[in-house]
Order: sequence, then C-alpha cells, then structure tokens
Amino acid sequence: MNELKKPKKKVAFPRYANYNAPIRYLLENGLGVRCILPPRLTHRTLEIGAKYSPDFVCTPFKILLGNMIEALEEGADTLVMVYGICKLGYYGELQEQILRDLGYDFDFVNLSEYDTGKVKDLFKATKYVNPQVKFRKVLKTLLEAVKMTDYIDEVTSEYYQNCGFETKKGAYKKAYQTFISNMYSANSKDEIERAYKKVRQAFSQIPISKPSQPLRVGVVGEFYTAMDQFSNFDVELKLAEMGVEIHRWMNVSNMFLHYPGEKNLNVRVKEFTTYQMGPTSTANIRSAKEYAERGFDGVIHVKSANCTPEIDVMPVLQNISADYKMPILYLTYDAQTSDVGLMTRLEAFYDMIYMRKKVVK
Amino acid sequence: MELKTVGIPRGMLYYRYETLWKTFFEKLGAEIRVSDSTTHRIAERGMSLTIDEACLSIKVYFGHVNELIGKCDYIFIPRICNFGRNRDMCPRFHAMYDVARNMFRNSGQKFLTCNIDVLGGEGELKAFLSLGQSLGCSVKSTLGAYKAAKKEEQRVWKKKVQKQKRLLEKDVLKILIAGHDYLIEDSFIGKPITDFLKKSGVLPISAGIVDRDTALKRSVDMSPTCKWQLNREIIGGIGMYKNKIDGIIFLSAFPCGPDAMVNELMLRRIDGLPMLNLILDGQNGTAGTETRLESFLDIIRFKRGLL
Ligand code: SF4
Ligand code: SF4
Repeated sequence: MNELKKPKKKVAFPRYANYNAPIRYLLENGLGVRCILPPRLTHRTLEIGAKYSPDFVCTPFKILLGNMIEALEEGADTLVMVYGICKLGYYGELQEQILRDLGYDFDFVNLSEYDTGKVKDLFKATKYVNPQVKFRKVLKTLLEAVKMTDYIDEVTSEYYQNCGFETKKGAYKKAYQTFISNMYSANSKDEIERAYKKVRQAFSQIPISKPSQPLRVGVVGEFYTAMDQFSNFDVELKLAEMGVEIHRWMNVSNMFLHYPGEKNLNVRVKEFTTYQMGPTSTANIRSAKEYAERGFDGVIHVKSANCTPEIDVMPVLQNISADYKMPILYLTYDAQTSDVGLMTRLEAFYDMIYMRKKVVK
Repeated sequence: MELKTVGIPRGMLYYRYETLWKTFFEKLGAEIRVSDSTTHRIAERGMSLTIDEACLSIKVYFGHVNELIGKCDYIFIPRICNFGRNRDMCPRFHAMYDVARNMFRNSGQKFLTCNIDVLGGEGELKAFLSLGQSLGCSVKSTLGAYKAAKKEEQRVWKKKVQKQKRLLEKDVLKILIAGHDYLIEDSFIGKPITDFLKKSGVLPISAGIVDRDTALKRSVDMSPTCKWQLNREIIGGIGMYKNKIDGIIFLSAFPCGPDAMVNELMLRRIDGLPMLNLILDGQNGTAGTETRLESFLDIIRFKRGLL
C-alpha cells in the first residue's frame, strides 16, 4: 500500500492544564497528524484512572491514565506520553501495560523510550508518528508552539492576579476562556498573535477595584497539580474570588524557557537547601522565600498525594514559614478530595490571613 | 588531627554501604557511632517527627537520626542523586540530607555529607575526597582509606552473593523477597517477616543480593524504562533467580511510589509463580501479615504437592 494513502494517525495526548493547545498545534501543524483532544478532565476521569492504578502512585498518573482511556473511547489510535525526571519517566510503561491488559488496541509512543539524552533520538519518535515528517517544519512549528505556551502562561498569570478584583463579575473569566479556546483552534503564527493581542486588550478594559495593599498569596507546588485547574479544583480562582491577588511562578515556560538554572536559583536559598532536593524543589523553595520577602500574606503548597519530592519540600517550607512568620497552607489532592472540604480549608485560611493583615495594619 | 565521632543512622543506605562507610571512617581515624537496631520506640519517634505522608523507610531513618543527635560530632547523611544515565535514586535520597538539616536545625547538631551525582560530574571518588576534606584529612590518607574501604566492600559483597548462591541450591522451599535491603534487613520492618518464613521452614532469598552489573543488564528485559538503580537491581535479581524459587514476596514500605509502580508491572508481567504483595506501614502489628503469609505458604505448598 502506498504510504501516502495511509489514513492519518489519530494521536491523543492526555490533558494537562491548558498545554494541550500548544501540543495540538505541534501535532497537527508540525507533524501533520490528526490530534484527538481527549475529553475534559472530570471526576469520572480520575475515578476510572484510580480504579486501574496501583494505590500509591501519585495522582497525576491516575488522571492521565483515566484520560487515556477516555481518549481511546473517543477514537484515538495513538497515544503519546512524555517523560521526565521523577516517576513521570516511568508513567508511560506502566500505563501502556495497564491499557493492554484491559484489552485496548493502540499505538503507544512512549517518549521515555527515546530518551537517550540526544535530541536526534527524540526526533525519531516524530518519524514514528508520521514517516513523512520534515525536521525543519517540526522545528518551526515547535518554536511557534513554545511561543504559544509562553503567552498562555503570561495571560494565566495576569488572570489570577486580577480576576478577584473585577467590578463586573465574570469579565476576566470570559476573556480568559475566549483566549484559551482561540489557542486551541489556532493554526498559524498570525492567529496566535492576534488572539494574544485581543486578550491583552480585553484585560486592559476590564474595570477593577483593587485596594492599594491587597491580600497576596503565592502558589507553589508540584508540576502537574499546581497548574492543572481540574486537578486542584481551580484553587487559585476560588481564593482569588474571595478578593486575593494570586501569584504563581511555577509554570511550563518559567521552568523550561526562563529558568535561571539550578545553581543560580539555589544560591538564593542556600540557608535552606544545599542540593537540588527534587525536580521542582529549588524553584518552589525560592518562590516561597521570595513571596515571604515581598511580604505576601500567605503561601499555598499544592501537591498530589504520594508526591515524594514535594513531601520532602515541606519541612523546608515549614522553616520558611516560621522564619518569616508567613502562614502556609498545605494541600494534598487525591481521589477522595472534595470541593466542599477544600472550600472549608480555603475559607479558614482566608479568614486567618485577613485577620492578620488587619492586626498588622 | 583531633579524633572526631561520626554518627551513622542505621537505616536506608546504611544497609548497602555499611562496610564501605565504616572502613573508610575507621581508616581515617574517626570514631564511629551507629544507632542501635530499630525498635518500636525508634520507629515511633521517627513517625512522629516526619511529615505524615512520607514513606515508612524515611520515617524510621529519621528516628535513627534523632537517636544520634547530640551524641556525635557529625551525623553522616550522603546525598545521592544518580550513578549515571538511567541509574537514578528515588528523589528521597536527593533530599534526605537537606530534609534532616531542616528538621533538626534547632538542635545545633552538625551533619556531614557528600554528593554523588554522576551525570553532574560528581562520582563516588570525588564524593569521598570531599568527605576527607570535611574531616580535615589529607588527600593522600583519604585516598588510601577510600581504596581500602572499596576493596573491603567488594570482598564482603562477593561473599554475601556467594552465600546466597549456595542457599539457592538447597532443596527446600525458597521464597524470593523483592524489596529494598533497608526494609528486608531492618529489625523492626522486614526481619519479623524473614523470621516467620524461616520458622515455617521456608528459605527467604533477597532479590537484591545479586551480581549488580548483571542484574542491571537483566532489568532491561523485565522493564525497559525503569530508571531507579535500586529497583533495577531488584527486578534484575528477579529475572536471574526466578527459576530457582517457589514464589515471590514483593515487600514495600507504605506508601512508596517507585515500588508501587515497579511491583505493579512485575505482578502483571511475571507468569507461573505465586506472588504476594506486602505493603508495610509499621503500625498494625504482625498478626495480619502473618495470616497473609500463612495462606501464601499454603498456596506454594499446594502447588509443590506438599499439602
Ligand atoms: S513530581 Fe510528584 S507528581 Fe510528579 S512524578 Fe514525581 S512524585 Fe509524581
Ligand atoms: S524507594 Fe520508596 S521506600 Fe525507598 S525512599 Fe523512595 S519512597 Fe521511600
């Protein structure tokens, strides 16, 4: 059979915050495959994921597994799984085994298998997905996808800093969601740029009423749960809506594009940690300390259950909290976490930082 | 040089490096103080000191660190990140030294550390040279101590592997225990289990006591993308020993992530051998575990036609 006539692969990548937009962009426009966007994460996703996962694996594994099942149900025939340091590097192999044992039939591109430390070998993976792929094209699209990621992070950051102070309820959310959905449908650099300009303009026109010294809370935590709005029950929006400015340094572009390097981050937290304690540890410790130095009213530490490195960061955060007298709320998410329970803890936290601010003033 | 006391907590990598560390510090003229075998009290103390969600192994370990606080000049806690490509340590070993420093920072206790991060250009030799330096020893004597310690380590390890090989040839029921040495050999965590097996006339065999280079190669057949050094040695050991044993017990600490994943894969991939997945939390006594072990042994005996 002629290669050209082969139907395009239907490739799916499980949901991860808003980053499926640049991933889709790269897959469709760079690799020339059809991207199946898995259904949005819901409680069902986590439920089926948890059902087939070992109990003590970290929660993102379960969510991703659940979402892979949903993607296969939607007609995907190829699943892509990334790799990374920590357990993430091992997610793919176990997820594939579980799915095969369940009887699913699919192609699996486990980037962990291509991880030799050379970019060349990663490119082999793209060849596998589409043998006709052109390296140049992939590279160009990749750069555009990276730009998109950068925009998404920048806009998201501004959204959570200000949305709690809008005078017309829901204005920020509306502009933000329009922007995100534009990112999902963009097929060219132009479209990306236009949508970005549009949201900037929309944001600038939303009237806000912010006190001169608003309550400010920093968010730190584990790489998946801290950023994924479903996984963390959109904790940032919940707190923002109580009238708090939310700051979060941790996102994909800060960790990969604008990262000052482990050594250079570490010098700023030398009194707390000598070594890199885990994949995101130094970044989180540095952020928490910086929020404390800038006089923030509190910090929230967000992680999934069984996240080894973030558990190990906690004794350090406790010391930062003690040294700077800044409260830290520790949130652990698992399949049992409920919206109501979370809300109760957030309200109590809010009351506490609110009272403290009044007393200090 | 003034004689220094170096405290070594009896937990975690102590079980792997006992000979290397002890010989090294002794040769340098340091006095060594190892905390006592884990007791219920030490474990409890560790559990109350450590973040609730951490694994049982690290809780017990910090119980041992606590035992040594104020009783030695230094407490030795190395930081080990990786031994090379695809030879990582669980993140807990990256963090352990700094976690201890933060947990016990008001105690005034000094800690001694060294860093092994082969991918980052810091190998074992470099780490030990830095240790000697921290203790104020010359490069020459440090190097001498390291070489002697390394030799002794290899000798002892070879003997241990040989001994296990002989056990494997014995014509009795043998059960392979797939788990970290710091669990299997700990008097409070794993020892009650191996004792129980022995009492029942079954020989426990450690999957991790194996020629490590061969095991690392073998592990790739068992699980191609597994990158944790310790887990790779264990699953490689399973591959090498599995035709000589009657069953496998996967022993892990509550709630260990790496083991949960690797063991799940093994349970799905290994055919034809009775397997038991034991996750220990150090809290519920041994009665429940013994019941599970008993029925597991019954299955094995039944399979072998001994029942
Ligand atoms: S960082 Fe945490 S959540 Fe991510 S893979 Fe590691 S243990 Fe799991
Ligand atoms: S491998 Fe498991 S038992 Fe060992 S330190 Fe890591 S989490 Fe704890």
